[in-house]
Amino acid sequence: MGQTEAVASPPARTSADAVDALLVACVGGVPESFAPVYDALGPVAYGASLGVLRDPDHAAEVTQEVMVEVWQTASRFDPARGSARTWVATLARRRAVDRVRSEQAHRDRDQRDTDLRSHERARDVVVEDVERRLEGSAVRRCLDGLTSTQREAVVVAYYGGLTYREVAERLDAALPTVKSRIRDGLSRLRDCLGVHRG
Amino acid sequence: MWDLLPGYALDALDDADRRAVDRLLAADPAARRALDEYRAVVAAFAVETEPPAALRSRVLDQVRDVPQVQDAPADTAPAPSPGAAGGAVVDLVARRRRRWGAAVAAVAAAAAIAVPTTIAVQVSAERDRLREEAAAVSEMLADPDSAILRAAVDGGGEASVLVADDDMFFQAEGLPDPGPDRAYQLWVVGADGGVSSAGVLALRDGAATSLVRDSHGVGMAVSVEPAGGSAQPTTTPIVTLSA
Repeated sequence: MGQTEAVASPPARTSADAVDALLVACVGGVPESFAPVYDALGPVAYGASLGVLRDPDHAAEVTQEVMVEVWQTASRFDPARGSARTWVATLARRRAVDRVRSEQAHRDRDQRDTDLRSHERARDVVVEDVERRLEGSAVRRCLDGLTSTQREAVVVAYYGGLTYREVAERLDAALPTVKSRIRDGLSRLRDCLGVHRG
Repeated sequence: MWDLLPGYALDALDDADRRAVDRLLAADPAARRALDEYRAVVAAFAVETEPPAALRSRVLDQVRDVPQVQDAPADTAPAPSPGAAGGAVVDLVARRRRRWGAAVAAVAAAAAIAVPTTIAVQVSAERDRLREEAAAVSEMLADPDSAILRAAVDGGGEASVLVADDDMFFQAEGLPDPGPDRAYQLWVVGADGGVSSAGVLALRDGAATSLVRDSHGVGMAVSVEPAGGSAQPTTTPIVTLSA
């Protein structure tokens, strides 16, 4: 006791394993058991939604949907396949991307929508902004190991919520080229992040 | 086809490609593992951001009205086998999770409590222990070969033990005060009938938990001993849990 100087680590980041256990534990539990799960994973859902949607209100709506889905389907979470963080980030991203696409379909149907251009510009992805956003994270360091074309393709696909085809149009590149850039880019990131599961 | 897995993880495939990958994933466990890795990569892009404060109560209110679905992890559910065996296993796991959910939640929540840095220094060792315990118990619950033994305690209360491989997670509640200068001591019962001490139980509101790893035991027992504990039981066990 009293050796305060020995511990410089920041306070209370719940360990990944403890979060996994919290999620497993709320299966069949009382609704109150979900409160610590929300506290631990809400920021992941919100961060993943915000990355794709950019708009805080939309991201909050998606986060609400996702966290209720997490509660409902907690029994489907399988710790053997990945962390709770990854599971929630995956669910959140999928919903955010769905929302982007349905909005887009909506706009496409209304060719005269005057918001179209400003919306599109607001959604343009600037690699430098992304790198600033990720500052200090492991992904940021690992992105440096990609070629600039790989980095651009991965970042545009991730933050734009775009399909391969849309990425190809956006970057004015051939579809097979984009596919291989994204594949090689994600594979390098995987090796750099050390997420191999055996 | 494997080339499409990164795009699948990024939600970047059109419908036809996605359906093709779905078929691959259904047939090939190695492809599922590769996808899990790509998903972890994609998830690493998410920057934790505190959601608006009002969202918390909205979600927790909604959760009270929405029932949970009860099924096994989607991609690892055992293939339907002839007879009722497959279903029974899933059912057992679900039941086990329900029954043990509260205990793991308590342990994990204790480990997850956010505390200011100054206090964190003092409790960090305790929290590390709890984290480790929560992780281990969660692993044990996932082990399909794990078993739960449960019995009433003489003198009041109930005890149970979760056994998985060589690990045992003991849990008791409703235990009366053992009396002045007395303590409850936990014992591991070996296959040969011998017992070895697993320590004196730290009682909180009549409840105690203890994780014993690499025990090589077939059961557990509790006896009332002098406060410091004994080398071997000196009284008749008040509860014995064995397979």
